[in-house]
Amino acid sequence: MAEAATATGVVCRETLDARVAGSPAWLADRRTAAWDAFSAMPAPSSSRDEDWRRTDIAKLHLDRFAAAGTPARELVELAQSRHATALPGAALVLCGPDGGVTVENAESLLAQGVIVSSLEEAAERHPDLVQRGLSGIGIGESYFVAMWNALWRGGVFIHVPAGMQAVAPVWIAHLAAGDEQASFPATLVVLDDHASLTLVEDLVGPADPAPRLSVAVTAFQLGEDARLDDIPVQQLPPETWHFSTRRANCGTSAHYRLFGATLGARLQKAYWDVILEGRGSEADVFAVCFADAHQHIDHQSLQLHRGPDTRSNLLLKVAARDHAQSVYGGLIDVLPGAIHADGYVVNRNLLLSQGASASGVPRLEIKANDVRCGHGTTVGHVDDEERFYLMARGIPADDAERLVVRGYFADVLDRVPLETTREWLLALVDAEIGDGGGGGLDADEVAP
Amino acid sequence: MTVQAHELTKDYKFGFHDVDVSVFRTEKGISPEVVAAISDHKQEPAWMLKFRLKALEHFFKRPMPNWGADLSGINFDNIYYYIKPVDEMGRSWDDVPDSIRNTFDRLGIPAAEQKFLAGVSAQYDSEVVYHSIRDDLSKLGVLFSDCDTGLREHEELFKRYFGTVIPPNDNKFAALNSAVWSGGSFVYVPKGVRVDIPLQAYFRINSDNMGQFERTLIIADEGSYVHYIEGCTAPTYSNDSLHAAVVEIIAEKGAHVRYTTIQNWSDNVYNLVTKRAIAKEDATIEWIDGNLGSKVTMKYPSIYLMGERAHGEVLSAAFAGNGQHQDAGSKCIHVAPNTTSNVVSRSISKGTGRTSYRGHIRVLPKATNVKANVRCDALLLDEESRSDTYPYMDIENPDVTFGHEASVSKVGEDQIFYLQSRGIDEVQATALIVNGFFEPFVKELPMEYAVELNRLLALSMEGSIG
Repeated sequence: MAEAATATGVVCRETLDARVAGSPAWLADRRTAAWDAFSAMPAPSSSRDEDWRRTDIAKLHLDRFAAAGTPARELVELAQSRHATALPGAALVLCGPDGGVTVENAESLLAQGVIVSSLEEAAERHPDLVQRGLSGIGIGESYFVAMWNALWRGGVFIHVPAGMQAVAPVWIAHLAAGDEQASFPATLVVLDDHASLTLVEDLVGPADPAPRLSVAVTAFQLGEDARLDDIPVQQLPPETWHFSTRRANCGTSAHYRLFGATLGARLQKAYWDVILEGRGSEADVFAVCFADAHQHIDHQSLQLHRGPDTRSNLLLKVAARDHAQSVYGGLIDVLPGAIHADGYVVNRNLLLSQGASASGVPRLEIKANDVRCGHGTTVGHVDDEERFYLMARGIPADDAERLVVRGYFADVLDRVPLETTREWLLALVDAEIGDGGGGGLDADEVAP
Repeated sequence: MTVQAHELTKDYKFGFHDVDVSVFRTEKGISPEVVAAISDHKQEPAWMLKFRLKALEHFFKRPMPNWGADLSGINFDNIYYYIKPVDEMGRSWDDVPDSIRNTFDRLGIPAAEQKFLAGVSAQYDSEVVYHSIRDDLSKLGVLFSDCDTGLREHEELFKRYFGTVIPPNDNKFAALNSAVWSGGSFVYVPKGVRVDIPLQAYFRINSDNMGQFERTLIIADEGSYVHYIEGCTAPTYSNDSLHAAVVEIIAEKGAHVRYTTIQNWSDNVYNLVTKRAIAKEDATIEWIDGNLGSKVTMKYPSIYLMGERAHGEVLSAAFAGNGQHQDAGSKCIHVAPNTTSNVVSRSISKGTGRTSYRGHIRVLPKATNVKANVRCDALLLDEESRSDTYPYMDIENPDVTFGHEASVSKVGEDQIFYLQSRGIDEVQATALIVNGFFEPFVKELPMEYAVELNRLLALSMEGSIG
């Protein structure tokens, strides 16, 4: 169901009205409130907003992006083949940018009482659960979250009932919008007490260089002792503006683990928040990012320790080539009362070319005293010695670089808990590194 | 272990103050007239008055910083911007008026001088009242005077460097200082001269509602070495005081400058200081920076590594007790290739105290083969204490080795237990651990400073264990 494109693009009052018309009353109210907040808010500015200081979106013109149409057949097949390669046993949820959602291969989960459905449908049928899923996302908490709250469509909703270990993982493919179109990917997951789930969220699009807009929110509610393994992969088309918020609220003794790969988009601003509410809750965030050409990739992480005895650990490894820019901002915030909190954050950067840059601010704000917190940041480059060593063994320069980057990423990717997914991710990263390199032997590089 | 904060019941150690004996002071508040009066009173050249008035415009134009510490308590209209306490410079110690001498005696300055100090230049309110430098250094061509004298007697040299490291529009408080500056030190070390005993100055604020705006300019010519020490203590007063100093250092090719400061302003002082150094080819700059006093400190000693192989070191320690906020840190800007920098920061928060480390490491595109390292650790003593770390880094060159590490923890129960099991009581044990935590800082201080710091720490720790 395509919407009428207006002169002002899809981010407009008419779109809101259409969304409100298709929503149950509680959601319609929420959308309207979000739109009011969004309309009253200035766009983030690199001169005014601290966390946007190094990411300038002055050139983003929202009115340029129209409503998304039905995804191309090739894109659907691409998404399906990624699922088939990486994790064929998982239930597959295909989310089109136009709001169309199909669920395949989910019979065993449904038989367990697990809900896997479109978010729009769940908002009608399970309003209480969906409201719980949205409870960690403020209506007007930021410019892009307010926009998303007003305009999201389609989306995925997953609910795992108490005590249930989901028998199969869920693979969610959010398909990119078409040329000069916008998409608003939505994923909501509610895990009741003692429930567990493994999830892959694949943001996928074609390699064509038309501009696109993607504004995404992914929210997780983990009940007592719930477990979630979350594998987000971002490989959007090369000229995409991507703004996302990913937040896990963790109950007592819950354990959230994220294994991420950021590869695509022209400009990304991603917020990864873990909110450790319940006593003894834990979060581990491990991610790799490879950026090249003129990519500007910005990760902002929050480890909010609210409950006592909470633990968090974050490792983000970035490799940047060509004129790519990596921006990282992290905050470990230990609130009063979060005694025995243990928080750690590390951001490592590998710069592969003259012209690549990395900046970061791993912040700590500690308001409780009986804690252990730390952070580390490093920036390095491929040693000439390492290159020389590999080339002396007959490995061409490009392959040598690939090997070094692969080794650099290994301690993150090796942690991905599903073997076939791990292999697929390695291949994906390898292909990204190989893109610029060309490979092969030059005449004067032939090994003896 | 229960660790609880108690208000220090003792009076502030240096909280005595003398009857005001000032001979000249401007009206409260700031205006072009006040600035002109200061300049006129000092009989300055016209270019300096122009510089001051221009700076005042910048000060009026710039907004208050909207980050860092809470500065809402500052009322610029309720401050005296210039007070001259005595008619002329004291030539020798005997000429200094008794009341002022008493103050310094209680800080132990003459005793320190007797030992090994090269020169003493103690600032009492705005003008340097006592100044001396050992003859042998004068013979080598070393200049060490207050900044006003530097301008008067070496105008050409002064003008060449003054305001070049920190321009008057750098920030609101540097602009204010540029408009109303008075006193501070002027140091020039000629080519190849090694001053192997530290040059030392004490600064104090005495009058109520007195802002102090000293200006220090240190020029180390090619291949020279100098260690400059500045210590601050201030008497307690009921109204808030403002201290906005500017310190500029230029290390020419191959020069080595070490700047040591420990500030112990009373806990009603806003200490908003701009300190910056330029290191040319093969030069070394070291900031040894201790922050114990003041209500609010915002101070980020900076090093611009402009020449190849220049090296920068920042070693800082901060202690924040009840109601204090120490927002301190460092900046190292790598402009040239093969430059290196190292930052070590230690901070302790006690009671409702808050320490923040705020740092910036920047590597510009042309700066290849840079090595930079930042290490900051914080210790929290009480449940209400707070510690923040804001380390900014911007790396625009791939050929760099950069590392940053930070940790925040409390005094370990096992450490206390270990010491207690050896018959040391809990108060002493905590003091020992605190001393050990500051050790990397303390060991870089000259002996009597180390002793004084340990005394101050012991005083700050009193009553900290419930």
